[in-house]
Amino acid sequence: MQTKDEIFEQIKAALTELFELDLGRITPAARLNEDLEIDSIDAVDLLDRLRRQTGAKISAEDFRSVRTVGDMVEAVHKIVRA
Amino acid sequence: MEKRETYLWRIAVTGTCFTLFGLGGLILGLLVFPAMMLLPGDAARRRARTRGLVQRAFRLFVYVMNGGGGISYEIQGRERLGRPGQLVIANHPTLVDVVLIVAFTPAPACVVKVALFHNPFTRRVVQAAGYISNSPTDEMIERSAAALRADDCLVMFPEGTRTRPGQPFAFNRGAASVALRAARVLTPVYIRCEPVVLPKGDSWYKVPPRRPHFTLEVGDDIDLASYRALPPPKASRQLNAWLQDHYAARLGTSGGYNGTRGS
Repeated sequence: MQTKDEIFEQIKAALTELFELDLGRITPAARLNEDLEIDSIDAVDLLDRLRRQTGAKISAEDFRSVRTVGDMVEAVHKIVRA
Repeated sequence: MEKRETYLWRIAVTGTCFTLFGLGGLILGLLVFPAMMLLPGDAARRRARTRGLVQRAFRLFVYVMNGGGGISYEIQGRERLGRPGQLVIANHPTLVDVVLIVAFTPAPACVVKVALFHNPFTRRVVQAAGYISNSPTDEMIERSAAALRADDCLVMFPEGTRTRPGQPFAFNRGAASVALRAARVLTPVYIRCEPVVLPKGDSWYKVPPRRPHFTLEVGDDIDLASYRALPPPKASRQLNAWLQDHYAARLGTSGGYNGTRGS
């Protein structure tokens, strides 16, 4: 069982590793598309990575309404808690 | 210059072909596929059968277009199409490309426009054959990768839509991403059409001034190993950029049109 902080750290690690983003840009309010330039194809790669990292069964459907890094933390948290 | 009668004849052939295509879709979807559901076999077996039938229907359609004088065509390297886990990509100059490739690839799966799943003439066919809609992106990528992992041969048009005449190639990264995820082998097909027929935005009766000739050339397999060593987002961008340059180098920057249209 992971806390939201732990999930945020995992997402940060995934984002820096996959997209070579500066840590400073990855805040909960950062918008994936507009601020971090992650498009729908990147999102599939990111999902894969998070699945492997967290062991959670995250489907693309769970992420459809995700807009920001914070939304993503919430979505993953909801799944690992369930 | 050909005679006016020949030109009118080609308009008639083109119109007939459109009608046949629509009728064929309806007959397959409403009569043949439901009847085939009575045959024994599991879901995979049925789908393979359906894809085989679609392939043969498309081949018949190509023979009609060719025999009636609507188009002519040649294919180089078709024996290298249809391998298990093979992703076949092609440029997309005209409306006929998908028909030509599917007609000469043994029972392929295919990523097609989402609109074909709503069109009354085509929707039963694309559904029964288990074709994959190009939208939404995440589902397209996951379903395409699953088809390749199940050893299907999959056909994709990275441009997503027909080339706009005179515009440089713009490949959608989805095909590169699918290739890197799951393709055992990635094979390019270069389609040339001279003069261009039915490009984006033209009405069906606007047939070109001469009988169009299609050349389908099956290229060498593309090595994926070096890209797979990179993080996936970077790898798909690099592969996509490489593919775009590769096609432009093969076909010229104007997307498979060898000449100006209407000349």
